[in-house]
Amino acid sequence: MNTVIIINLNGNAFHLEERGFESLRAYLERAQAQLKDNPDKTEIMADLEQAIADKCAHFLQPHKNVLSVDEIEDVLKQMGPVETDGAQPSQNSAACEQPRAATSHWDTPKRLYQIREGAMISGVCTGIAAYFNVDVTIVRILFVALALLTGGIWILVYIAMMLVIPFANTDEEHAAAAGAPFNAQEVIDRAKKHYSGFKDSKEWRRHWRQQRREWRRRWHDGAYWWAHNLQRNVHQFSTHPAYGAQLIAGLLIPFLAILSAVVFCLWIVAVVQLASSGTIFGWTVPASMPVWVSILILIFIYSAISQPLRHARRAIYFNTGGYNYSWFAALDGLLALGVLALVCWFSYTHLPQVHDFFQHFNENWQTMWNNIVDSFRRTGVAIGLNRIAESV
Amino acid sequence: MTNDPKFNPIRKGLLEFLILQIISADKVYVADMMSRLQDTDFATQEGTLYPLLSKLRREELVDYEWQESGSGPPRKYYKLTAKGKSQLAEFKDYWAYLNTTINQLGR
Repeated sequence: MNTVIIINLNGNAFHLEERGFESLRAYLERAQAQLKDNPDKTEIMADLEQAIADKCAHFLQPHKNVLSVDEIEDVLKQMGPVETDGAQPSQNSAACEQPRAATSHWDTPKRLYQIREGAMISGVCTGIAAYFNVDVTIVRILFVALALLTGGIWILVYIAMMLVIPFANTDEEHAAAAGAPFNAQEVIDRAKKHYSGFKDSKEWRRHWRQQRREWRRRWHDGAYWWAHNLQRNVHQFSTHPAYGAQLIAGLLIPFLAILSAVVFCLWIVAVVQLASSGTIFGWTVPASMPVWVSILILIFIYSAISQPLRHARRAIYFNTGGYNYSWFAALDGLLALGVLALVCWFSYTHLPQVHDFFQHFNENWQTMWNNIVDSFRRTGVAIGLNRIAESV
Repeated sequence: MTNDPKFNPIRKGLLEFLILQIISADKVYVADMMSRLQDTDFATQEGTLYPLLSKLRREELVDYEWQESGSGPPRKYYKLTAKGKSQLAEFKDYWAYLNTTINQLGR
């Protein structure tokens, strides 16, 4: 139990433990003495007090409103000794040595904030740009592209970010928003390290070629192609009931339905894996990528794949047209559901991992949820989600 | 790069110009300056930076405007004055000159 003293730092009230108060007073008195002959003394003192207040606020939480001695010492260490040109050279060199030692202290964890300065709407993009240390224009273009690709769903995500991500108000928070450098090069380096086992060998090249082939194949299977071709066929026969188109549709509908169901299942599995263990099909996500960002990326990839599929399916019903439309749609829906059920049943009975997952569904769900909330907390998107987490 | 205390006066002398250089790119907060210097040999702290900034302002090399923030008091947003810009240009020329001098003497 310690006596608590209330102080006023540039208009902000703080509760300090008595010994912490003594250290702070000593620091400020030293600063006053150093700035004795400085014409801007009052202003500099106010700036210093404000900086201390910002750093102190960092330690406070709803249920913790007293600053301990250690915390004050930490804050003062981060501030560094006040020095001016008038000081003795010997003092200077001693003081100059300290900052380098203290930089690790100043290494505040990087947090995601909204930054109003230079913002176009709310500051989400500027905050993300600061967080990933990229140009804000790139983030904006990406966001617009995402909004278009996801058919507007991204706008909802954006609004959610607006509500959940806190604003950077203090200098301290502005610094934390940019934090330690994070750039694409780092991610690439890490990925390279990950593959360094077979980087230079033929194996690596084969792996890469395989990957590319896979991508190309997926692109060619792309449902736009199907939809487009089909539309052309139908236009040729449009005066007659399009028998050829109906035939193609009859074959294509089950195929697309199965494909959609499989994509959906793979996506669910990927999200579950990511949230529970941070890996996707054996690939470990870089540690600097927060789980929630990876999940957003997964959602984006899923919608980029499933959206064209959905359009293709719709294109088929419309083009085969007439009273058949509803019949096709029903068949398609049933088939997709059937395939989904089949895949679920099969994986539940034949894959031990899936079986185990559902056996311990409650705990698994809890770990996943905790992982996601943790990743938010680590990036500072905490305020709204903490409340949700508490109520769950 | 090196922790030799012999180089401390050099670092200390250069800090002022590095601050001018940082401010020349954009309008900046004190926190921005610190985070930009953080990973360099010139990492500095508020205790050094605030007195230095007030000195630069007295010399009319930098100026600041108050920027409102959502919570808390308004923040100082620093920018370079015309005098600061010419001083920075002068410093860069001088630095290049010093570099050539050092290199030539080594021959």
